Amino acid sequence: MVRFSVGATLAPPGFGKLAGTVTDCSLALSIAAASVTMSAQSLGAAGRGARFVNEVEKVAGRWQWFHRLGSPKWFYEKTTRWLPWLVGAMALFLTVGIVWALLFLPPDYQQGHTSRILVVHVAVAGTSLSFFPLMAVAGTVTLVWRMKLADMVARNAAPLGAWFTFLTLATGSIWGSVSWGTWWEWTDSRLVSMLFQFFLLLGVISLRSAIENAETAARACALLSIVGCINVVIIKYSVDWWNTLHQPSSPISMEVGSPNGPEFWVATAVMIVAVYLFLAVSLILTTRNEIIQRENKAQWVRELVAQAR
Amino acid sequence: MNSPGNGAINRSGNSAINRAGAGAAFLATLKRDLLISVKRRNDILNPFMFFIIVVSLFPIGISPESAMLRQIAAGVVWIAVLLASMLSMDSLYRSDYEDGSLEQLLLSAQPLYLLVFAKNIAHWLVSGLPVILASPLLAYMLALPAEGYATLVLSLLLGTPVVGMLGSIAVALTVGLGSRGLILAVITVPMSVPVLIFGTLAVQNALAGGSPAGYLALLGAMLAASVGLAPVATAAALRITLN
Repeated sequence: MVRFSVGATLAPPGFGKLAGTVTDCSLALSIAAASVTMSAQSLGAAGRGARFVNEVEKVAGRWQWFHRLGSPKWFYEKTTRWLPWLVGAMALFLTVGIVWALLFLPPDYQQGHTSRILVVHVAVAGTSLSFFPLMAVAGTVTLVWRMKLADMVARNAAPLGAWFTFLTLATGSIWGSVSWGTWWEWTDSRLVSMLFQFFLLLGVISLRSAIENAETAARACALLSIVGCINVVIIKYSVDWWNTLHQPSSPISMEVGSPNGPEFWVATAVMIVAVYLFLAVSLILTTRNEIIQRENKAQWVRELVAQAR
Repeated sequence: MNSPGNGAINRSGNSAINRAGAGAAFLATLKRDLLISVKRRNDILNPFMFFIIVVSLFPIGISPESAMLRQIAAGVVWIAVLLASMLSMDSLYRSDYEDGSLEQLLLSAQPLYLLVFAKNIAHWLVSGLPVILASPLLAYMLALPAEGYATLVLSLLLGTPVVGMLGSIAVALTVGLGSRGLILAVITVPMSVPVLIFGTLAVQNALAGGSPAGYLALLGAMLAASVGLAPVATAAALRITLN
């Protein structure tokens, strides 16, 4: 019972997590608690006494939000209300971050003006690491609860993740072309493991497009995302090992004027928030598009389309 | 969805008989797959020939000088093994899918991951082992120094089953698709990168006079992990694609 009540208090903030940061541990906790509820339910169905069933139903009632999360209609209506806020916040953070990086960040004493691209690069790189965990969690939800919505999110996350990974590699090589004097450097293990994450994401995308049956494709990609998520971690550490000469990420410093001082990392932090918001907004928009396409036979979608005309 | 349920019922009924059943099913699958491969020699021979041909391309394409070849020998053999196993992987479940025996495996009362594991072992015995046995010869042709042979063979012995089992997941996910050869490689090759890294590092370390034991131990750890996890994932993938 303790675990149920812990989960229930987490329930309200849990709503918003799906689109942006599914990796958030509160959702993982909720899912764990929900799975206990589900198994309790199935035990109850086997007929182990009416009182227990009552108790289970009461708990299950508290978990309605989780099941509602699986309804595309519910998601569509909620995000209609959230989107203006998210887009507004994204625009604000993006403007502040970019203007700061381009106009106000002092040029680095060694790298000069090219250090400005790092603000974007670090933010995009950090964000692109969250795609495989996100797809793995969404995939688990697809495999266990067969929620359509989780698959819609996972489906759109794969190409977005490939784009983010590509952007990370591109901004990284532009930066490297000036400060390292080379566009590509195999001895930097981060470049190499990013490249292989890119390949793995392309694999998920091509598997999706190869399987015609939508439900089979959803479950196959869910499994591949889970396997891929484990693999990305193994690849990262083995590439690190393979190449112990890579430069470690620079420690941040509180001292103004130091190489990694606050004027640099605060701008980067703003940019990281901006890029995460951008990710959330793009994921929500593409998922909404997908909902309209896949649910085009549903009454509410027809009404929506009729209204738009 | 048949087998876990039945298995549970059998277990509660008579565990000794059921255990014998699972073991017998494992051996029967292993024997059947080995027999089939012996009768269909092309499926074994072609990847093997491919392996030898790919290796012989490198001296032509890069440099015939032994000083150069010596440096790349281990990597070339490893990459050729990877490519050859991609090629042989394609036949892992294809004929079983086409004649319907794969569905019979799914319906069997025995745990599917065990049967899948038996198929993986059989496949490795007929496609992985010949390549490994030929690898010292090819390494010699690439002028690999003598200190490297034992490590190369050991690393291949530990590493190729991992590649095979990872590939088996991808094959199971793409079983029944028309144009799956390339998807298979796109999925499996990036996942095999850690095996390639530690396989070649082990040989390089042995050549440099160090002990390759650490890298071989890591390959062994990967083998243990994939023996435990990959057949389960493959079984899940087969249930998805053949639902």
